[in-house]
Amino acid sequence: MAPNPRRDLLPGTLDMLVLKTLSVQSMHGYAIARQIERLSDDILRIEEGSLYPALQRMRQKGWIKAEWRQSPNNQRARYYTITASGRKQLGVSESGFEELINAIARVMGT
Amino acid sequence: MREWLSRLLDWFRRDKLDAELRDELQFHRHALERDARPDDPVSTRQRMGNTTIAIEQSRERWSIPWLDHLQQDVRHAVRSLRRSPGFSTGVIATLALGIGANAAMFGVVDRLMYRPYPLLRDAAMVNRVYLRWTDRDALRTTYSFEYRRYLDFQEWTSSFDRFAAFFPTNLAIGRGEATREREIAAVSASYFSFFDVRPALGRFFTPDEDVTPKGAQVVILGHGFWQSEYGGRDVIGETLQIGSQPFTIIGVVPKNFTGVTEGKPRAAFIPITTFAGSGSSAEAKRYYTRYNWGWMEMIVRRKDGVSAEQASRDLSTAYVRSWDAERGFFPQLPPSSVAKPYAVAGALKTAAGPDPSLEARTALWVTGVALIVLLIACANVANLFLSRALRRRREVALRLALGVSRARLAAKTLTESLVLALIGCALGVVVAQVGGQVLSRLFLPEWVTFSLLGDTRTLLVAIAAALLAALVTGVVPALLATRADLAVALKAGSREGTYQRSRTRVALLVAQGALSVMLLVGAGLFVRSLNRVRAMRLGFDTDRIILLRHELRGTALGDSESVGLSRQLLQAAQAMPVVEHASFVSSVPFWSTSSTRLYVPGIDSVQRLGRFTYQEASADYFATMGTRILRGRPFGAEDRAGAPRVAVVSEGMARTLWPGKDAIGQCIRVSADTMPCTTVVGVAEDAVQQSLTDPKRFRYYLPIDQTDWSRGYFLLVRTRVAPEDHVEEIRAALQRIMPGQGYVTAWPLDTVIDERRRSWEVGATMFVAFGGLALVVAAIGLYAVIGYNVTQRMHELGVRIALGAQSGDVVRLVISQGMRFALAGTTVGAVLALWAARFVEPLLFQQSARDPIVFVGVALILLLVAAAASTAPALRATRADPNQTLRAE
Repeated sequence: MAPNPRRDLLPGTLDMLVLKTLSVQSMHGYAIARQIERLSDDILRIEEGSLYPALQRMRQKGWIKAEWRQSPNNQRARYYTITASGRKQLGVSESGFEELINAIARVMGT
Repeated sequence: MREWLSRLLDWFRRDKLDAELRDELQFHRHALERDARPDDPVSTRQRMGNTTIAIEQSRERWSIPWLDHLQQDVRHAVRSLRRSPGFSTGVIATLALGIGANAAMFGVVDRLMYRPYPLLRDAAMVNRVYLRWTDRDALRTTYSFEYRRYLDFQEWTSSFDRFAAFFPTNLAIGRGEATREREIAAVSASYFSFFDVRPALGRFFTPDEDVTPKGAQVVILGHGFWQSEYGGRDVIGETLQIGSQPFTIIGVVPKNFTGVTEGKPRAAFIPITTFAGSGSSAEAKRYYTRYNWGWMEMIVRRKDGVSAEQASRDLSTAYVRSWDAERGFFPQLPPSSVAKPYAVAGALKTAAGPDPSLEARTALWVTGVALIVLLIACANVANLFLSRALRRRREVALRLALGVSRARLAAKTLTESLVLALIGCALGVVVAQVGGQVLSRLFLPEWVTFSLLGDTRTLLVAIAAALLAALVTGVVPALLATRADLAVALKAGSREGTYQRSRTRVALLVAQGALSVMLLVGAGLFVRSLNRVRAMRLGFDTDRIILLRHELRGTALGDSESVGLSRQLLQAAQAMPVVEHASFVSSVPFWSTSSTRLYVPGIDSVQRLGRFTYQEASADYFATMGTRILRGRPFGAEDRAGAPRVAVVSEGMARTLWPGKDAIGQCIRVSADTMPCTTVVGVAEDAVQQSLTDPKRFRYYLPIDQTDWSRGYFLLVRTRVAPEDHVEEIRAALQRIMPGQGYVTAWPLDTVIDERRRSWEVGATMFVAFGGLALVVAAIGLYAVIGYNVTQRMHELGVRIALGAQSGDVVRLVISQGMRFALAGTTVGAVLALWAARFVEPLLFQQSARDPIVFVGVALILLLVAAAASTAPALRATRADPNQTLRAE
């Protein structure tokens, strides 16, 4: 059994997390996964089975752009960059997420 | 939307995306392995998660299943079509002809009737005004207006926010040697505001340049004329001689501006009142107060929300009022309660207006014919597909048994016909481009260039025709594919030995035959009607006659000088060795006729018997025209002014006015019943006047010496030899006599007459071409089907031969089958053609649309062709080998 409990993501939150991560700087898929894991203290674990299809979907929606670049240790990697419409989407998801959390909190708090 | 676009783009580069994804996942794995801590209890593989899911789900992002299927189907279709090149070529060629014929005809009809004029603003709100009224029980239509009527409509209607008048005409432009007669347009100042245009140079007319009684001497140049004559330089303020007057150039219209006039691009535009106000006679100067001159055309733009019907009603009310006002000047006009005048806000192009020309109607018919050719082609292709579908029954059954869905199978079949139709379409466009040039020469004025490149409307129609063809040809085999009965088809016993009748295929074959019969009947009718037009005696010979008209162009001549000039021209023409006869006349067949009141002692109202037109001519007229004198004598040089008045009347007129009596010696009074008697001295054969189809040919001839030489507008010259080489020679010789800037124009009379025969010629040509095409296609279809049936029946035929059937019996068996199809097709087609007869009859010339000769002839042709098409398969049938058959049993 893994010592770290693995939490399933709420539906739709993966896109938001990825966009949030990319809003800081461009990254490749592996770095995105690691960053999310690191910031969540390994509670959120991003598997490539869900990450890569999500990246493709967001690319087709025009939220992120993809290009091949050399990574710092000189390997070719595909870097993703957030676009203007991606930032707009991030704003929309963030406020929606906030509403959702508040609503859950109100329910749980009573 | 955007997402789907990028999905589609990704679909096209999906192989590359697959590879990139693999690289990316590899990189991910390497990075995980590199970063893995040896003590990490979670293995790399676990951390990695499910790679297969990653790949599959990512792939879904750039796969579009139906597109994948389509691609597969197209590949499959192309492969299977390449495997049977004969079949494919046949289908593609058939469809290319069908689609090409339709695209070409659409291109022509669209240009003729529907395509909006370029640059016209709110084309849907702009109408041409047509006037209709009843005259002696016949409905008349015109789009020629009096200027006064144009003013009436502006005053008495409320449905329009804009009116414009225009008049396309020819005037001499330039000075001296460079003088040429050009197409110009006289237009109202409002004309240009119907268009979204700015002048290429200068400005358009202002309202105060277009005022009654006479507008300003200003001109706007056509773009082409400006380029060719001035090289496109700044010409504003320069003077240009038009007609007999100098005009100041104030502007140039932009390129592509055609206005709403048919015909060649206009060289120049002048204010319409300037043109109208240039008349010299007192009568001409009253053009805007009286209804004495119907000449110009009129367009209107409806106010927002006003329908064409409302506009027509509004116009009609105004027209009745205007008609009554006109009666104030011309009491002989019937009252509006009798004439029932009404107006129509109709199509801008007269070909689509309320009374389209014979050419336009013929063009529409030929379009219908082209559609029928496409239908026949489709029926043919559908039949070929069906034959193949039957042949492939086992293959299809096998696929179904293996679990391929019926929908996928149907899609495959449809894709195949789609691929064929699209290839056919591409070829069809080539056919249309070539054929369209021929067609446009038949239907469209010479200056219209027919090119399909960049002609989106026609290309779209070609593609629509191809899709239609694909659907029509593909649906039946597709249905058949999905209905295949597995158990029956897979049974070993069900091999090609059983001869299967297919009702669908028989129906298609009969339909093809029937449609071909209809077209061939049409072809036969048009050819016979054309023969009648050609064989009809016009009442004169046109073959060696040249028509000349002289224009004084501003040189002011007194009456006697003017008559002197005409006599001088006549004598000069007569003196030329190549000229046999020459005569000055007041009118030319098909161009103009004159009539005046006629009084005949003993007849109350001559007018009620019909319209009697007259021709004034100098001596030698009958010899020049070749009009035969049946009785009495023609008039000659001795019937000069002061001598007793004489006239020659047409046979029809003589028979109508003096039935049962001799016309010679009778008295007619021309223009007033107080005039002295004009004695009839001769009876001439009937001659056509305005229309080839008008059976009434009441005409009388007066010596111009006894009437008015100044009305001798035209000079007719009969040459001793074919006139082609002498037209210019005679014209130049006469032009040398003209004073000042006067000039002479010449036409062989044949060209005038040929124009009138064109609609029949075109109808005959097109029906024969398309009918022939249909027959060939139908024959190929019959041949293919009979051939296929023979293949199917080889086994049965072998048994028959083994049992002692002679080759003659076998041949008879096969051919009789073909004949049965042909007979059924002929019968159905003949019935349909009889039904359609009444619609086509008005297009024919004195030709019944139920001509038995045509029907019987066509039936014979079809049966003959059917027999020929069945012969080859029949001969093949005799080679059925009984040995092989029995061995296979």
